[in-house]
Amino acid sequence: MAALLSEEDRKYLVDLFQKEVKSEVKILFFTRKNKEECEYCELTQQILDELAETTDKIKIEVHDFDSEEDLVKKYNIGMAPAILMFDSKNKDMRIRYYGIPSGYEFSSLIEDVVATSKNGEVDLSESTLKKLQEIKEPVKLQVFVTPTCPYCPKAVLMAHKLAMQSPNFIGEMVEANEFPDLSMQYNVSSVPHIIINDGEGEFVGALPEDAFIDQVMSVVKGA
Amino acid sequence: MPLFNLSNVSKPKTLDYDVAIIGAGPGGLATAVYAGRARLKTIVFEKATEGGQILLTDTVEDYPGFTSISGNDLAENFLNHAKAFGASFADEEIVEVDFKSDPKRIKSDLGNEYTAKVVVIATGSNPKRLGVPGESEFMNKGVSYCAVCDGSFFKDKKVVVVGGGDSAIEEGLYLTKITNDVTLIHRRDKLRAQKIAQDRAFKSKMKFIWNTVVTEIGGSKNVEYVNVKDLKSGEVKKVPTEGVFIYVGLSPNTEIFKGSIEMDENGFIITNSKMETNIKGVYTVGDVRNTPLRQIVTAASDGAIAVIDMVKYFE
Repeated sequence: MAALLSEEDRKYLVDLFQKEVKSEVKILFFTRKNKEECEYCELTQQILDELAETTDKIKIEVHDFDSEEDLVKKYNIGMAPAILMFDSKNKDMRIRYYGIPSGYEFSSLIEDVVATSKNGEVDLSESTLKKLQEIKEPVKLQVFVTPTCPYCPKAVLMAHKLAMQSPNFIGEMVEANEFPDLSMQYNVSSVPHIIINDGEGEFVGALPEDAFIDQVMSVVKGA
Repeated sequence: MPLFNLSNVSKPKTLDYDVAIIGAGPGGLATAVYAGRARLKTIVFEKATEGGQILLTDTVEDYPGFTSISGNDLAENFLNHAKAFGASFADEEIVEVDFKSDPKRIKSDLGNEYTAKVVVIATGSNPKRLGVPGESEFMNKGVSYCAVCDGSFFKDKKVVVVGGGDSAIEEGLYLTKITNDVTLIHRRDKLRAQKIAQDRAFKSKMKFIWNTVVTEIGGSKNVEYVNVKDLKSGEVKKVPTEGVFIYVGLSPNTEIFKGSIEMDENGFIITNSKMETNIKGVYTVGDVRNTPLRQIVTAASDGAIAVIDMVKYFE
């Protein structure tokens, strides 16, 4: 199959990872054999493989969503394709990609690889970090996106940064077109659309950091 | 657009610059090219993805030098060009500015405080609200301002596009690739869009309702209809639809500058012919400026003019 990454992008990544990737990153990839049940599994695996070829620090571990029930249960994987990242201490970064991270979301994936290689070191404001400490209960953020939405990576990365910084958070990207039933369940028709704790709260739009965290706090704290 | 896009990956940075450019659309990026060539230490802030509103355009055909190029590719060219001459980039949203201090101070949503001798406002504009009942209620429930973002949710569904300018026609044409049932509602009897775009629209499967305004957007959970009024006959009727895409003009992204800079009655920033605002060392380029034309070529031109003038602050 022809390479998905252009030669130019491949070179860019080799260079970027050489400078930025500090330690090993393990990517857990959950796939399905049946093409009809997972249109994008194969393509997702290919882009991950090409990514792993750009640096010796990325390791891809492929698992079968349908047969490896224990692992699926352990990480609470709801759908496939699914991508998870683990740092050099084998710590789950609690970020999830459901659906292929293509289009603008490919940048999000790269940013996550870099952050994971730094053991989850991300740029968040003091006030956000303080608010995160107040949260003791589990928070699940599902960010619905389309690959052609230039505003979406900001929301995905916010959810992922929060997950990397707080053990209570899970931050998910959901490619809305690939999971139409779930999108319909939450009435997603504009993206990014963020669902908090399976529908306890929601908001639409790529908000600046303060506003994003306030939306989350208002649901979690009932404020 | 490329299947795998890398333009969002941010770079390391320091906090003090000669020139800080807020917004990485064509205006901001052209400014960055010229500032880089003037050997000014330059940073560009972008809250979404570098490229600005051209990313929302399927195909660009009116930027000289490119007969036809995707908005995405053109954005990437602009970005690479700016990077080639040394500009730094930060994926941060500027939330606060202090133009009274010297150097000027700007603060991002990540809490980072940057300083710059010269600030260039290139924050662009976003689609204006229609201002009818139901618009807020059904926002994100069928009402959208971004066809490339949200179009795929309306596959094979009935949608209406409101407006008659370039954006309305271009986005409408984009939607005709997703669904067969696109109706454009326009308050006049002819379009404002460039003639070539009009010709394409008339040849496409797009339908038109002329001399008509939308008076209400309605439905139960999601949009089910729009109420429209024929301005000539006064006749009022209900048009069933599941999607409403609104392109009735532009609203400037100037919220954070209110009170600190001179604007016109619509919130667009006023500059002199050198693109400098009423505050020394603060320039404005592109869509966000009070300008007779909002195109990629004029935004880029603004950037060049601004840099040639701002050089005086570094002599």
